[in-house]
This record gives sequence, structure tokens and C-alpha cells, in this order.
Amino acid sequence: MASLSSKITAYASANGVSSVDFTKDVSLQDDSNGQGPYIKEWNLAIAKPSDAELTAAETAADAAEALATVYTARRQAYGSVESQLDLQYHDSKDGTTTWVDHVAKVKTDNPKS
Amino acid sequence: MATLFVDKLDPQSGTALEIGSSGDTITIPSGATITNSGTANNFGGDNTPMFKASMSGNQSIANETFVKGAFNTEIFDTNSAYDTSNYRFTVPSGKDGKYCFVSLTAIDNLDSGEAQSSAYYINGSIDNLSYNTQWVSKGTNGFGVVNNVFIKTLAAGNYVELFVSHNEGASQNLSATYSSFSGYKLIT
Repeated sequence: MASLSSKITAYASANGVSSVDFTKDVSLQDDSNGQGPYIKEWNLAIAKPSDAELTAAETAADAAEALATVYTARRQAYGSVESQLDLQYHDSKDGTTTWVDHVAKVKTDNPKS
Repeated sequence: MATLFVDKLDPQSGTALEIGSSGDTITIPSGATITNSGTANNFGGDNTPMFKASMSGNQSIANETFVKGAFNTEIFDTNSAYDTSNYRFTVPSGKDGKYCFVSLTAIDNLDSGEAQSSAYYINGSIDNLSYNTQWVSKGTNGFGVVNNVFIKTLAAGNYVELFVSHNEGASQNLSATYSSFSGYKLIT
């Protein structure tokens, strides 16, 4: 099940808001009393979502979280910028395709769907 | 005003010696020195109430959500002012004053450009002067600790809780190994 922040982001996107700042636009809170997270403050111009609207945003939120997981895995697998630049340097010098092959493998190993 | 010249005052009977009566002011004049070589009770205060709490296990913190730290294990609690059922310190009766709160909150798996924060909530509302954020610059899966020290004037019945948040993208653990919540009354 998607997190409340992901569902709100999906709901906002569907209503014309491209990004949500959770330090200013919307404040979420969990009082650790077993009730789970809830919307503490809502400062966006669009209406605060109902429970039904949040439930409707679940599918899009799940997809966004899955995609974020893929991007996180790819980011880790790509390696540091320094190591990739080193691969590119040697490719230019030696006429090899090590860096392109590496990136292609990372993408293949971590598909978006 | 009469002046009494003696080198030592002792009780006439027993071992208790009382100087002055309720409402009187006893003054040590400028330039004079009073030296204590014994036990001084009730001078200067003793920094209590004082408490420290930790967690019995890691706590999952949802993405982009301020979550109350579930510090359910007391390390010490001098005045029984910390409640492990709702993770709350409440100022006891007669203990109004200035308090210092100190916390360490550690969250793992943060990547470059992501942040973790902590803040103290007073009577259920965030005190923005206590908001503390650490941005992570490590490439991937960095482990960060926010050290949050905060002084606040409180009255009896006021309660204080510690909330944490992060923006990793998915739920991450607040580490029980490295996280704690503590506080004590300042001597003023």
C-alpha cells in the first residue's frame, strides 16, 4: 500500500499541482498511537482530499513508489560520478564501450516495469 | 544595630542551629566570603527533573511525515515525569522553569540530497525554533544523526514530545541503537 505522502502527491498531480513541498504545502503527522499518519496542515490551493479521493490515488501512488524504487536501485548500481567519468575516459582513450555497456546493464537489471 | 563578636556559634542544646526567622533576609556583604566545607542542601538546585529514554527496537518512519519518536524505555527518570506509553515528558507540579532537551535521532538509507529532521512538540504543537534538519551528501544509503539541543521555558503540566521525519521516498527506520530523547531542568 502506498504511503500517505505518495497518495497526496498523486492526488495533487491529478489536480494540476506538479510538486508538493511537505515542509510547507502539506504537513503530515503520525502520533505513534496506532492510528497511522494523517494530514496535519493543508496549504495547497486545491481542496484537501477526502478519504475516497486518497483511495482513488492509490494506484498512481503505487506506480510512483515502484518507479522510485527502480531509480534508487539504478542510482546505487551506476556508481559514483567519478568512477563513471573514469570509465568514459578509458573508453575514449582505448576505443571501448565499457561505460555504455555498464549503463545498459544497470537499466536491464532494473527495469521500470 | 548591635554587633555580636564571637568566633563560633553552636546550638545551646542538640545539634540544630537556626539563623533568623521566616521572612528575614540573611546577607553576606560585598567583599566577604562564605565557604562551605560540609554538605550544602537546597542551595543552587540539582537539575531535576531529569530523564533519558531510548527505544526497544527500530521504528518505521513514513516518508515525508513527522512521526513521534516511540522512546519506550527509560534509562533514568528522576521525577517519574516521562511516560513510556505515550513517549511524553510532562513538567511536574512545582517544577516550572527553563528546561534543556537533548536528542539524537539516526535514520539509515538516505541518499545524496535527502534530509532528515527532528523537532520538539510542546503541548502537541511543533516549536519551530527547535526544527533541526540534516541534509545528506553521501552518494547512496548514508546514515545520518540529528543532534537537537533545545531550551524552553515550561510550566507545570506542559508536555514535550520528539518528532522525526525524512524524505527518503519510502519508509525508513529510526535506529534504536543510536537514538535517544533526554531532558533536564536548568538551574537558574
